[in-house]
This record gives sequence, structure tokens and C-alpha cells, in this order.
Amino acid sequence: MTASLIKLEEVNTWFPYSKPIVGKPESWVKAVNDVSLNIIEGECIGLVGESGCGKSTLGRTILRLAPLYSGNIHFLGDNIGKLSAKRLKPYRAKMQMVFQDPKASLNPKMTVFKILKEALVLNKRVAKEDYLEQAVKLLNLVDLRPEHIYRYPHEFSGGQQQRISIARALATDPKFIVFDEATSALDVSVQAQVINLMKALQDKLMLTYLFISHDLSIMEHVCSRVAVMYAGQVVEVQNSRSLFDAPRHPYTRALKNAVPIADPESKNDLGILKGDVPKLSNPPSGCHFHPRCDFRDKICSKVSPEVSKINGNSWVRCHLHEKLWKHGALISE
Amino acid sequence: MNNLALSKENEQTFSGDPVMQVKDLNVAFNNHGGQAKILEGVNFCLYPREILALVGETGSGKSVTAKSILNLIPSHSRETTGEVLFDDRNLISLSAKDLQFIRGKRISMVFQNPQSSINPVFTLGEQIGRLIRLYLPHEISAVMHKNQCSPKRAIETIAKDKLNEVGLTDIQRMLKLYAGQISGGMAQRYRIALSLLSLPEILIADEATSALDVTVQAHILKLMKDLCKNKETAILFITHDLGIAAQICARVAVMYAGRIVEISDTKSLFKNPCHPYTKGLLKAVPKLGKNEPLSFVSGMIPDLVNPPRGCRFHPRCGHAMDICREKKPKDLMVEENHRVSCFLYNKQ
Repeated sequence: MTASLIKLEEVNTWFPYSKPIVGKPESWVKAVNDVSLNIIEGECIGLVGESGCGKSTLGRTILRLAPLYSGNIHFLGDNIGKLSAKRLKPYRAKMQMVFQDPKASLNPKMTVFKILKEALVLNKRVAKEDYLEQAVKLLNLVDLRPEHIYRYPHEFSGGQQQRISIARALATDPKFIVFDEATSALDVSVQAQVINLMKALQDKLMLTYLFISHDLSIMEHVCSRVAVMYAGQVVEVQNSRSLFDAPRHPYTRALKNAVPIADPESKNDLGILKGDVPKLSNPPSGCHFHPRCDFRDKICSKVSPEVSKINGNSWVRCHLHEKLWKHGALISE
Repeated sequence: MNNLALSKENEQTFSGDPVMQVKDLNVAFNNHGGQAKILEGVNFCLYPREILALVGETGSGKSVTAKSILNLIPSHSRETTGEVLFDDRNLISLSAKDLQFIRGKRISMVFQNPQSSINPVFTLGEQIGRLIRLYLPHEISAVMHKNQCSPKRAIETIAKDKLNEVGLTDIQRMLKLYAGQISGGMAQRYRIALSLLSLPEILIADEATSALDVTVQAHILKLMKDLCKNKETAILFITHDLGIAAQICARVAVMYAGRIVEISDTKSLFKNPCHPYTKGLLKAVPKLGKNEPLSFVSGMIPDLVNPPRGCRFHPRCGHAMDICREKKPKDLMVEENHRVSCFLYNKQ
């Protein structure tokens, strides 16, 4: 097993909810609550969950774009969790992000060359004279043509704009890229193109990805491992294959059952999850999922479950997972 | 109330026949670059108690079709020809005044973003109350009589009843809230409850679940399915998600660049897709439990100001023949209930 690129230890990202004029905030929105996660070099790890569960905030926290309340973030062995903005700079170039809405994340007043140049300045390996050459190389990497270089973002389609975003992310020679719902705004056929490109680039440039999405069905195509997030906590991490075949957490199963499958013969009764996502300012006691869980026991509402290891890099956060696994309660026929 | 009684009668006479027929619908927009022919000869029927899915890429004309049915597109710089037959009348040529008795009442619509289609400055209770007063005056008096209460109480009782039907809970509190204070899933369920108040014959859902989470989406889809069974409403479900089409719809129409290229019952479409575009689209869908590289339809949706000559799909089609570049394909029946518009199936 290769070394971990990023290691999160008990990371908390809390935002003040109501702040008195003097003194400390009284209550917090716990967007990311006690998350420990290992991201292995060269893998693509997925992060799924409903909207408002904190998946984007976790992605931003890793890049230090969201304020870290407590905990440690190790990047290649260095703890970057507490570094000042100035000392963080060399690490910034190594970690990049691609956003959901390509139109909003590209400056409409800049040509593609200018957009790429802005990022290339951060890349110490590229000399000033070589910017143009390097920009053309980047466009080639993402299957755009060199003549596109002096065009403006609005002249491209959504899929092409997302390719420009990817090219910009690659400009600084990163090791790690966060894709925050990068394909959710695209059509299926365009989405397939962008995903194939992402995978090809990963092999070619030895990148590590964190792929954030609410769409379970593309996870298996993109990711080798998937983390499931619920109400600020990661509740399950498994290899993508076994996650879908044999989910260990009741929430994962509910999420999987809710995906409509493009096959009229498959008997998917669109499993219905009761209730709503809890408020992050006041999450339920004990296991956050217990009010919506079909299998809940007395202990679930009282004690917050600990991480229990399944094997290797997989683990689950559920009091009852052993019992459920034994009875095969979570495996659908 | 007369209208309500009328609609009940109509359901009787319509059984078996389509509730709505769209015939040769053409819509063009005049813009700076010339005339964009957004829809070109759209034909389909909607039968009572069925869910028909309209799928296609962004810009294929799905929403324009839906909006043209109710004449919701502003008339300046727009040219519409063709027929939308509903209740023996052509909705395209109806005056705004006549349309008022159909819009929202007999054909209602649910939009993609629920929060923006609810008035933000009135409470949810006020808005549903207003519609109940408009559509269900008889029910109000019936409840008043039964419970011996004021009209206000009666409206509240009906509102609770109707919102309960779409699976909302804690309604008493909800009626006092504003649109911005409820979650997307709740807002969409509330919107659906509003559009069902008048017991419409047709419900048009324009990407009604696209902005929602899968878990909330599952709720809404189940609701739509039950609705169609219990209330005898026909649903035109516009979506880009083929999974939804497969799971809840009886028939699927695939749109490409302003034309319906294939329309069929769901089983037959997924088992035996005929049009090259449908085939490509189905292959591009990521499937749970199958990890193979995704294939895709190369190229982009054409510029509709200067659409390709002949079949609009030919520049992206792997099977394009000479005839595809020159002539427009005609609709052909390949099976019962399976219509495709492609020269590959032209036997002549």
C-alpha cells in the first residue's frame, strides 16, 4: 500500500451561528464534525451525501479555504492545518480545485490564455517566456485546440468550459485536485466525456482526486474508494465496488436505493427515507442518523458511534453494523 | 365549480382517447443572428393516467415544448405554428382570456426551482388559501357546514388536508412560514400540492426533481406515481435523467434539436433503442454496479439558427448516409407504440 498524501485527524470546521458583540460565539454550525480520513497517493476518493451534509465544506477545509476550528491536516507529512497564509503559499499550488459551475468560475473578461497565465505564474518550473507554449500544452491535455487560446469563456459550451477549469487547475502542477460537483451541471453525454478525460489525466499525471458529488451512480466509474457523509460526519468509507454491493451503514443503503436506475426491468421501488436532513446547528444526539434509521436501537440515540474498522482502509460508524452485517439486512436481493 | 364538474365529465368521454394532442408544433425565435428554429414538427399525444417522459440534452427544446403547450412564452419575437389540441380546442390560437380557464386549472405546471416559483412575500398559508378560495368554494362551504366553523377555519382544514396528501408534516407551523424558510424538498411538495388543488387533467413537471437530492427526489417521484394512479391526472415529465424515465414513466419521448426522434413505451425503448442518438444517450448513462468506461455522443448540439440540412443529428451520427444530409426523415413505426424518425429504418 502506498503512503497517504493527505491525512485528516479529527477535523472540525465550525461556523459561528449567533455571535455576541463581545466574547465567544454561543452556538456553532458544525459543518464538518470530527472527520478523520486518509487520502492515499494516486487514488480517487469520492465523497457523497445529501446537500447540506458538509461535503463541500470538507473539500474546502482540506485546501484551507474554509476556516479550520480544530484538528490536523497533514499534506505529505507536513501539518498544514495551522500554517499562516504566507507559509501556506507553497502548498497552495500543489492543491487545486474545480468548481461546479464552470461559467461562474471563469472570469468572463479574460481570454483563456490570461486565465491560464494567472495560474502559471504560481508554477515555479515554468519560465516567463514559456507561458504561451505551456498554455497550449495544457489545452492539448484537456482535448481543446490551440486556436481556442484567445477566446473568451462565453464562446465555449459547458463541457468545454469545464475543460478550461481543469486546464487551469493543472497549470500549477498540482498533486491533489478537489472536484466539487464538477460534472453535476453537465448533460449525461458531456458528463461522460469530462469523466473519461479526468480518468485519463489521473493516469497520465499521477494525480490524486477528491471527487465530491451527490450522484452515486457516477461514483463507481470515477472513484476507487468512496466516503459517505451525513450531517457533518463521514459515516462509511469503503472500496467503491463493495460499497454498492454490500453497504455497511443504513444511510448508504438508503442513498443507494434512492437512485433511479435507467432500466425499466430493474425492480427498484425507490426506497424512501423518512424525514429531512438534520440542522447542523443542532444535530440529533448520539448517532446523527438515528431519527431516520429503520434499524435504530436504544443505544443509537444516546452514544455517538465510534469508528469500527472493516478491513484495510474501510470503516463504518454505526453501533449495529456487526449485527446488521450478520443478518444481511442491508444487502438487497 | 362549474368547471370542476365539467372536467369530471370530460374524463369520462376522454377515456382511451388522448387528453392532449400536439400536432406539428413549430416554434421559432427571432434573434440578432437570424431565426432560430427551436422546435420543428413536434408530434405526440398524452393519454389519460399516463406519465410521459420527455428526455433530451440541454437546449433540445424540452422546456419550450412544455411552455408552448400553455402559451407561456412571450409572444414578441416568437413564431408558433401547429396545434395543441385539448378539449377539442387549439391552445395555440386561444386568447389569453380563454387560456386563463385552462392554465393552472386544467393543465398545471411544476417548475424546476420550487423556491423561485413560490411568492416570497406571502406566507405559504396565504397562498394556498387564496387558491382554495378560487378553486374549491363548494368544499369550503361543505366543511363549514360539517364542522360549524368560520370560512377561515374551513380553508385551514382543507389546506392541511391537501398538504398532508403530498406527505408534508408539521403543517400548522408551515402555513405561517415564507418560501425562503423551508427546504427545497418541502417547497417542491408544497408546489405540487398547489398545482393539484384544481384537480387538473394534465400536470406538466418541468425538471421538477432536478434541483433536489436523490432521497428527496425519490419521495417526489413516488408521489407523482401515486397521483397518476389515484387522481387520474396525466403527467408530462420533462427530465434529462434517463433513470427517472425508466422508473416511473409509461412512455418516453426522446428529443434532439427540436424534434422528437423516438417515442416508445419505456420497456421497448430501453430494450431496443432504435435511433442512433437514443443509443448513444443510453450508453452514456453511468450505471450502478457496472464499471466500464463511459461512451458518449461526440460533438455538440447544433446551432439552431443554421441547423444542419436534412436530419439534424447527421453531423454527430455514426451511421449517417447521403440521404440523411439532404432529406428530413419521416416518422416510422418500428413496433406497436414505438415510433422513430430515422432513415436507417426506412425500408424503401
